[in-house]
Amino acid sequence: MNPLNITLRDTAAGPVLHVAGELDYAHAATLRQQVDQLVLKPDQWLVIDLSGLEFCDSSGITALLAARQHAHTAGADIALAAVPAKTMRVLTIVGLDRIFTIRPAADTV
Amino acid sequence: MHHRNNVTVTGRDDGPVVVLAHGFGCDQNMWRLIVPALAEQYRVVLFDYVGSGGSDLSAWDPERYASLDGYARDVVEVCAELDLRRAVFVGHSVSAMVGVLAAASAPERIGALVMVAPSPRYIDDDGYRGGFGAEDIEELLESLEANYLGWSSAMAPVIMGNPERPELGQELTNSFCATDPDIARVFARTTFLSDSREDLRSVSVPTLVLDCAEDVIAPREVGAYVQAAVPGSRLVTLPATGHCPQLSAPEATAEAILDFLRTPR
Amino acid sequence: MGRNRHGADPSGTGDDAGVDARFTALLEDSAEELYESAPCGYLSTMMDGTIARINATLLGWLGLDRADVVGRKRFADLLTVGGKLYHETHFAPLLRMRGEVGGVALEMRGADGGRLPVLVSSVVKYGTEGEPLLIRTTVFDASDRRSYEEELLRRRRDAEQAHAEAERARAEAERARAEAEQARAEAEEARSQAEADRSRLADALAVLQQSLVPASLPEVPGLETAVYYHTASADRLGGDFYDLFPLDGTRWAFFLGDVCGKGPEAASLTSLTRYTLRAAALHDPDPTAALTTLNAVLHERYAGGGDPRYCTVVFGVVEPGGDGSATVRLASGGHPPALVLRADGRADYLPTPGGLLVGILPTAPVGTVETTLAPGETLLLYTDGLTEARTGPARDQLFGDDALLAFGGAQAPASPQETVAALTTLLRGFGDGLDDDTALLALGVPALPPPARRPATDRPS
Repeated sequence: MNPLNITLRDTAAGPVLHVAGELDYAHAATLRQQVDQLVLKPDQWLVIDLSGLEFCDSSGITALLAARQHAHTAGADIALAAVPAKTMRVLTIVGLDRIFTIRPAADTV
Repeated sequence: MHHRNNVTVTGRDDGPVVVLAHGFGCDQNMWRLIVPALAEQYRVVLFDYVGSGGSDLSAWDPERYASLDGYARDVVEVCAELDLRRAVFVGHSVSAMVGVLAAASAPERIGALVMVAPSPRYIDDDGYRGGFGAEDIEELLESLEANYLGWSSAMAPVIMGNPERPELGQELTNSFCATDPDIARVFARTTFLSDSREDLRSVSVPTLVLDCAEDVIAPREVGAYVQAAVPGSRLVTLPATGHCPQLSAPEATAEAILDFLRTPR
Repeated sequence: MGRNRHGADPSGTGDDAGVDARFTALLEDSAEELYESAPCGYLSTMMDGTIARINATLLGWLGLDRADVVGRKRFADLLTVGGKLYHETHFAPLLRMRGEVGGVALEMRGADGGRLPVLVSSVVKYGTEGEPLLIRTTVFDASDRRSYEEELLRRRRDAEQAHAEAERARAEAERARAEAEQARAEAEEARSQAEADRSRLADALAVLQQSLVPASLPEVPGLETAVYYHTASADRLGGDFYDLFPLDGTRWAFFLGDVCGKGPEAASLTSLTRYTLRAAALHDPDPTAALTTLNAVLHERYAGGGDPRYCTVVFGVVEPGGDGSATVRLASGGHPPALVLRADGRADYLPTPGGLLVGILPTAPVGTVETTLAPGETLLLYTDGLTEARTGPARDQLFGDDALLAFGGAQAPASPQETVAALTTLLRGFGDGLDDDTALLALGVPALPPPARRPATDRPS
């Protein structure tokens, strides 16, 4: 299994978390911890760049929902960027494609 | 008890019983010069406290004998084994106080007390003169601990390892005053640091107090104190020098004791 | 003993040997001179200790004047207090008993308060009747000897101390060993306790797990059913759930879903979900209404914390018709689509687009779909443990939706039992690739006789 690799990048609009690897039960907690430590300002965008995501199960979905809650609590917004097709299919099944703002790439608005 | 306390019984089998108890430093031989006078009419019981003379040293218990009560238990146990009833207990020096304690715990055993050169408290206290300062007793104890004061039997283990002086250790361990130095230290502490003044006031048996004309250990004013404290007691001052009238003035000592024994009670 | 007793008679009466006297006269002015200036102290006392004679040597050692001593002091007065006590309790009685005492160490006190360690020997002189007359005493300066003895004593103490320390160290080592042994025994006890706890916990988990899914499915007239339930770990309560129960005389409700998370918290969510759905369905048998109620309940219960709790679930109502078919209405909240194995050998998904995870928003859209099961057709509900099972030699591929569709097509037509049996075989083949909980619920209409289907494989016993 590939470990989860998360990198943080700050942009004018807000932080961008690049998530690579597998968001499964074993690794989703890592993303949640990273997100919990993010300090967000109102109206900022938290962008989660999923271009390197290889796998996402329900634990990963939960982590994404937790990130969404974290952003909204701070008055910020959240977007998922560069969602791989497989993950997009999962997101669509669970209906999150209409809950999250989806962007083709991290730097598109 | 017989073996443990090296009990010796002599004198008239059918006579009233007199128990002779030695003090700190020696053993029942202390009474040697007055036993013949007593033995004519009385049954005389002699013994050694555990740790002294011919006692069973294996029975030594530093905790038990760290208080005079431990020695008093020796006395009561000896009396019980011989089934003595209302015996006259003659105690020398610290044994006088042991007798007080024994009489209190076994009144049926001990019917009268003779206190020879007693002192209930060796150290001066507020309004009380025992003859010694606390530092004097500490000096004795320290000196004993350090084996400085002719405690040659204490040095015996060392000296006997020294081929130049083999005779000293042997001599002192053969003497009747010899005792194990560790035991002697405990007995010395128990003797010289105890305070039995309160016990004197509850003595309920006829009591004779014998003090000596000149005694650095139990001066006359201490004898007077004891007599005043023990209800109904008599005081006789012996024409003796030193702390051991039964050795230095045996006739006078024996006569005073016999006189007391003959007094109807 | 004895070595101190052959000195000159201090009374000076020994005059029986003229030759000796001549030599004495040669060597000393007089016996008196010898007595006074001898290299040891001499004194004679009355039996009560009063000093009658004392030589100059001893007076010099003590810094005393003869006039202050003779007839005025006792021997014991020359001693330190400790020495006095020892003298009275040991020396004097011993001397009285034996008539002589030799080589006893005492300390004398000088006029200036200084202490002089001495070795003292005394002899009692008796009269013709055997009565004690006086005491003759010799005193040797024992400073050097005392130093030597002190040194011996110090070394003995050092040795005793070293011995005691070694003994302590040995006892300490013994204690440490005993403690280690005790710790080992305690660890063993803890291990076996943990083993017992673990066993009890597993039992409790199994009981709890059974409350999350029915022990067995009820008989449904006119329908066949089959289930499969797999938990990824015996230690962990599964997050998958299903149920099947009657709504009224003609309709049956069923559901299958997957709560987020694992373990006790997931179990609590599962329990809430299961009983909410059951109660909601009895109140309003419409599938959408049941999921809407569930969404409201879960959102009310779990929203607000930083820890999202939700489930995906397909809820259905099946009503067997009089014509041998059955109508199925499904509502889905974010759950993978059901699969239908048709009688003609096809397999189709029944997409329910627009549904959302149940519990994350105050009001959630629900996707619905309706279908009719003809005789010999089977509806399969499953959790993503099936589609996300890892396959391939490196376990790096997912089984996936397409493979499931193809597998269904290969099986169709198949009864619920046949379908579940085939999938069970498939899942077992995944081995450790099946790393998530997996639940399967299949229900179908029995095929009409004579069945024109190919022989089934892996029919469950």
